[in-house]
Amino acid sequence: MRNVAIIGCGQTKHSSRRRDVNLAELVEEAVTNALVDAEMTMDEVNALVVGNMQGFGGVAQPEQWLGDWIGAPGKPVIRIATGGTTGGSVGQGGYYAVASGLYDVALAVAWEKHSDSREPGATMGLAHVGIANMFHAFNYGLSLKSLAATAGVGAAAGVAVYQARYYMHRSGCSIEHLDMVAAKARRNAAKNKYAHLQWPDCTPEDIAKTELIAYPFRYGHICPASDGASAIVFAEEKIAVKKAKQPAWIKGLASFSDEENQLQSENYGGVGVLDPSEQMGCRMSAKKAYKMAGITDPKKEIDLAEIYQPFPSQELLFAEKLGLFDEGKAWIAMEKGETDINGTIPTDLSGGVNATNAIGSSALQRILECALQIMGKAGEHQAPKKIRNAVAHGWGGNTNYITVTVLGDSPRR
Amino acid sequence: MPYIKDKRPETMLLEGEWNVGAYKYKAPHLLEEFVQGLKEKKLIGSMCIGCGKVIIPPRNICGRCHQRMEGRITVSNWGTVVCFVTSPPVEKGKFQVFGIDPVESGLIQEGSVLIPTFVRFDGADANIVTELCNVDPKDVFIGMRVKAIWAEEPQGQLSDLVGVEPI
Amino acid sequence: MVKRVAIVGYAQSHHQYDMQKTREDMVFEVAKEALDNAGISRKDIDTVVTASTDFLDGRTISNVFLSMAVGAYMKDESKVEEDGASAALYALMRILSGSHEIALVEAHTQASTFNPHQVSFYTLDPLFDRQIGLLNSVSAAALQARMYMDANDVSEEHLAMVSVKNLMNAADNPNAHRRMPDLSVEEVLDSKLYYDPIRELTMSPISDGACALVLASEERAREITDFPVWIEGVGTCHDAYLRDRNLLRLDSLRKAAEDAYKMAGITDPFSELDVIEVSERFAHEELMIYEALGLCREGKGKVFIDKWVTQRDGELPVNPSGGALAADPVCATGLIRMVEAAKQIRGEADGHQIPGAYRALAHGQFGICAQKNIVYILGGE
Repeated sequence: MRNVAIIGCGQTKHSSRRRDVNLAELVEEAVTNALVDAEMTMDEVNALVVGNMQGFGGVAQPEQWLGDWIGAPGKPVIRIATGGTTGGSVGQGGYYAVASGLYDVALAVAWEKHSDSREPGATMGLAHVGIANMFHAFNYGLSLKSLAATAGVGAAAGVAVYQARYYMHRSGCSIEHLDMVAAKARRNAAKNKYAHLQWPDCTPEDIAKTELIAYPFRYGHICPASDGASAIVFAEEKIAVKKAKQPAWIKGLASFSDEENQLQSENYGGVGVLDPSEQMGCRMSAKKAYKMAGITDPKKEIDLAEIYQPFPSQELLFAEKLGLFDEGKAWIAMEKGETDINGTIPTDLSGGVNATNAIGSSALQRILECALQIMGKAGEHQAPKKIRNAVAHGWGGNTNYITVTVLGDSPRR
Repeated sequence: MPYIKDKRPETMLLEGEWNVGAYKYKAPHLLEEFVQGLKEKKLIGSMCIGCGKVIIPPRNICGRCHQRMEGRITVSNWGTVVCFVTSPPVEKGKFQVFGIDPVESGLIQEGSVLIPTFVRFDGADANIVTELCNVDPKDVFIGMRVKAIWAEEPQGQLSDLVGVEPI
Repeated sequence: MVKRVAIVGYAQSHHQYDMQKTREDMVFEVAKEALDNAGISRKDIDTVVTASTDFLDGRTISNVFLSMAVGAYMKDESKVEEDGASAALYALMRILSGSHEIALVEAHTQASTFNPHQVSFYTLDPLFDRQIGLLNSVSAAALQARMYMDANDVSEEHLAMVSVKNLMNAADNPNAHRRMPDLSVEEVLDSKLYYDPIRELTMSPISDGACALVLASEERAREITDFPVWIEGVGTCHDAYLRDRNLLRLDSLRKAAEDAYKMAGITDPFSELDVIEVSERFAHEELMIYEALGLCREGKGKVFIDKWVTQRDGELPVNPSGGALAADPVCATGLIRMVEAAKQIRGEADGHQIPGAYRALAHGQFGICAQKNIVYILGGE
């Protein structure tokens, strides 16, 4: 198998309204940063893999219009979009483009500009996931009251509320632990100059003071909707070694799809067939990615994790599913500080999705942050220890899509 | 990295829209069977001949076995709470459903607490999301036994299943 | 290419205006049929790549409730948000990388859900063209057609002849949507005018449809079938935005074709290819595609139609299946071309078989005025 490495990373400053740029300029900013970081020009890039959630910005196939800003004309472009995992899928697409041998250098670009839609965040876009199929349910007499009940609780966080409840029931973790995770994300974000919700000395008590939306989620637990973009340059082994002092090698990856978990499936069936905290897709993906990377004991061999955690319960839940902690024990490790910057497995040192959520790009940022840590370019939030292997995670869809990417400081042998 | 702007002058704002009202979605035939069952106060699910899973409301394809779910099974009216969520007391003007305020229009009483619940009816392998009624939110727990509440005169529509209540 | 990858199974739906089926059913049926066609089951596949778009399907994350139906449960899965031929490219990359052996590719659109021409309006520059509101895929194509006809002395009859050729070919293709065995040039010229010179019969219909194919690495392909259809070359290219490029030429297609020919070792496409399947959303595009594929000189596309070169019994048949003019389920169209080309090579294209087809070209496009193009060279043993 061909070895592929990340040799350049670029992202934009994230905030709730990047009104100084339009969508095309925002994406260009990330791409320029990535090319500068890789010390390359667009002429050296053979192919692009791009993606975002097209409903959220209200532009269909935006790369057709903004391709000119990122040097796409005259080059192969593949658009990949898989919901929340879009960024992760785009990153994996970049890997496959190079690993296939068809191209030597590929640029992965993902973005989201939430403030382009008038509805706060992605409410409208996300509603379409479910509501599309509810229209015909009205013909069968779905009562507006039950819809209101669902919307009243679910709209804020949807299936994640149920997922958190399931997880807490199984693991014994309490709402205070969620406060701790959220506070940690805000504090970490304060050290990341690109992050959105920065709160330097945030304590769990600060989070606990915020309004309860639906038990167990408080307002302070929930991710923001950000404007932002990120871009990564992937290159094959010879170019990578020449261009970068310490490339971040892609060692293993997988994206297993599970059964969807939410209220409406394609035919108003499949109502929560699964426990959304079970995440078999994540376990399978992790297993495959570790095997590919030659990692036998992730607890010992993984030095850092970037977990896609728009809600704090997910950092704990997915850390377990990724094999970093025993089942139901992640919150204990978190309480002991093992996921802090000086811990055994620092988790989401960038602040993660909980602090910065430009949905299309969020999962690509997880890969990007792992790469920065391995390359030693993370700046203020660089982990003090040497990072040999890191795992980047993404989830999306109706909790049924997962991307897991394992990065390392040396190529696969 | 060099390219972060310090000054952020605002750009011009342009209006646009994504007209989503014009879509024509297709309804499956299975829903018809399901609501006909509701009229007789029956919960009809579909069973996969391959793995034996019973899915309710019925769906026509089993993704695990990759085949059509040909079997039909009526599951019990009794079930177990698998998961639940409690809302804070509902306030006026807090949220809208299709542009309607549920409190203002009298759908939901002001100050009431909603408990959407995943219920697994006995005999089914899938959860149904419905409302848990006639219970103090403090008393709800995972594993609680519940039974279906039916409309007084079922019309053969989805709202015939009003919710569930503790046994 | 380092490794060889083959098409080992395929299926497509009976494309029509309104399928009277849910998307789930439609997708399930083609996926199942493609696996049956290859003689394998769901557990044999390693990866699944689908193609559909959110705007056309009318829901964010268009594949979210279809993963189970397509057979992606607990499979390494991804979705390409454009033409199915690009999904096939991503699946090809996944196999070539060495991580996967067998891939299922599926693409679908139910155009009856939402008018795809209206979606094309949402792909425009939101800050300028959308504000003006004059352009959409049809009006832009009309501008392009007018430019092309003016520059190359092409008459409306030429466009009508393209439609007649393709729609009469489609009469023998049971999967096609618009099948017209007795069509005449006059009838085409009398059909409803949308934007001059684009008429109802010189543009593609709005179709529901799905298509699936199974790709396998060389080793597995030989185990699965005695008649693998090899992917000998592939090329894809994205063009500049509508306003910034030369609409008279399909430069991105030219580049894509050059890449594909180079990979397949083709120097003279006209004599080395036996049959061609292209996605011509409008009749004039087919003439432009002849030129961009390097089959004839610049501006001479009409000669092929005049001299009957691309008829089913001509020297180089183009679109014996009827092409996109006969059925156009947007995201599936390019993948259908691959399936039709593979059928020709296997000798399984019942009514519209080209005798002795050994090497075929399949073309897919996406975007207004064919902004993005992808070309495959397929060959038999």
